Amino acid sequence: MKKQIRIRVNGLERELEVSMRATLLDTVRDQLGLTAAKLGCEMQVCGACTLLVDGKPVSACSYLAVDADGAEILTTEGLADGAKLHPLQEAFMETGALQCGYCTSGFLLTAKAMLDENPHPTEEYIREYLAGNFCRCGCYGEILQAVKKAAGL
Amino acid sequence: MRDFEYLEPTTIAEACALLKHYGGEARAYAGGAYLGIVMRQGLLAPKALVNIKKIDALKGIRHDVKDGLVIGALTTHRELETSKIAREKFPIFAHVEREVANIRVRNVGTIGGNLASGEPLTDLAQVFMALDARVAVVGPATSRLIPIEELFLDFYHTSLADDEILTHVIVPPLPPRSGIEYIRFSSSSVVDKPCVGVCVRATLSADNETCDELRISLGCVAPTPLRARKAEAILSGKDFSSELVEQASASAAQECSPTADLRGSERFKRGIVRVLVRRAAARAYERARQH
Repeated sequence: MKKQIRIRVNGLERELEVSMRATLLDTVRDQLGLTAAKLGCEMQVCGACTLLVDGKPVSACSYLAVDADGAEILTTEGLADGAKLHPLQEAFMETGALQCGYCTSGFLLTAKAMLDENPHPTEEYIREYLAGNFCRCGCYGEILQAVKKAAGL
Repeated sequence: MRDFEYLEPTTIAEACALLKHYGGEARAYAGGAYLGIVMRQGLLAPKALVNIKKIDALKGIRHDVKDGLVIGALTTHRELETSKIAREKFPIFAHVEREVANIRVRNVGTIGGNLASGEPLTDLAQVFMALDARVAVVGPATSRLIPIEELFLDFYHTSLADDEILTHVIVPPLPPRSGIEYIRFSSSSVVDKPCVGVCVRATLSADNETCDELRISLGCVAPTPLRARKAEAILSGKDFSSELVEQASASAAQECSPTADLRGSERFKRGIVRVLVRRAAARAYERARQH
């Protein structure tokens, strides 16, 4: 069974026909070609599939696309302002906050949502907010440093 | 995931009628924190999903002097965590919610869904139990208000009928001289499901020494969250003493029935229950005395 949905992805209005069982992750990756978000654990634990729905981080691997009808979606592809990278992206590059990069999109979007909510977080706040994103290469030190840098800490 | 019909009612009556129509083959859906996973894993394959997110009557948190805190089923974990009124009246919820799963689950997972899933490895149920909370349940022709303990029957099994919806959780105002503490223990990462979660609420009598009312609720160590009633009886009506608390903690550790799993052996979990009851009781008493 299929349904028409309207979503705004990275500022662009999209009208899509999606299967009831399609996840938001399948939809942005396969129908829109936005592949920064990755499929990881498939059980809302690892954070690799994080997307922002109406500004809030969600696990897109188990978020039904039909349930996103009418929502505003941000993927990592929409973070930069034209050719100008987002301060978080700059900070991740400067501190070398990644190895394989599989988790990076999820970390960037989660950190973005956190800074939008609270532009002046403490280190403890950052640690707690990002605790649900896993980096299997173990770049947590550099990631924390990058986020602190972007937050002006 | 098997294909399904997707329905979006806007009233509780409409939602119940749809659930009734599918006679057990449909599921009420809200945030997808539970169904999103079990459907993907093929553990549940409903013919229809009844998305209740558009029903305004299930939203929001309100407080009044008589009823206490009334939490709509669609309230997300994050909303409960950050709600001003909840923080003011029951700061325990912000304390608990901070540690529930991760930010993504807290953004989508609802209080109603958390309870209605019957998931045994969870936190809030213990706190609601210690606060004598009730849940409002509505069906096609009936509505009922039940103590939260009567909601849970077994692993992933509640007393909700196929066509009933949990609409609200009602947390009565705390009596004066009350203190409450919840401690969650994770045996691996902090964002893992809890290994054991213990809540203790103490309400003292006017002398500020004798324990008038005591609740000890244990989670993750039985098919359902439960009250450790024998342990409660050891402390009720008595003055606080570390000997009695030790006896009650030992009793609580025997009143549950933990299963060995990747989060610990049965013996380990009983040991954790004992320690957590002791610590939570001390903190709850301390807070009750300060009130």
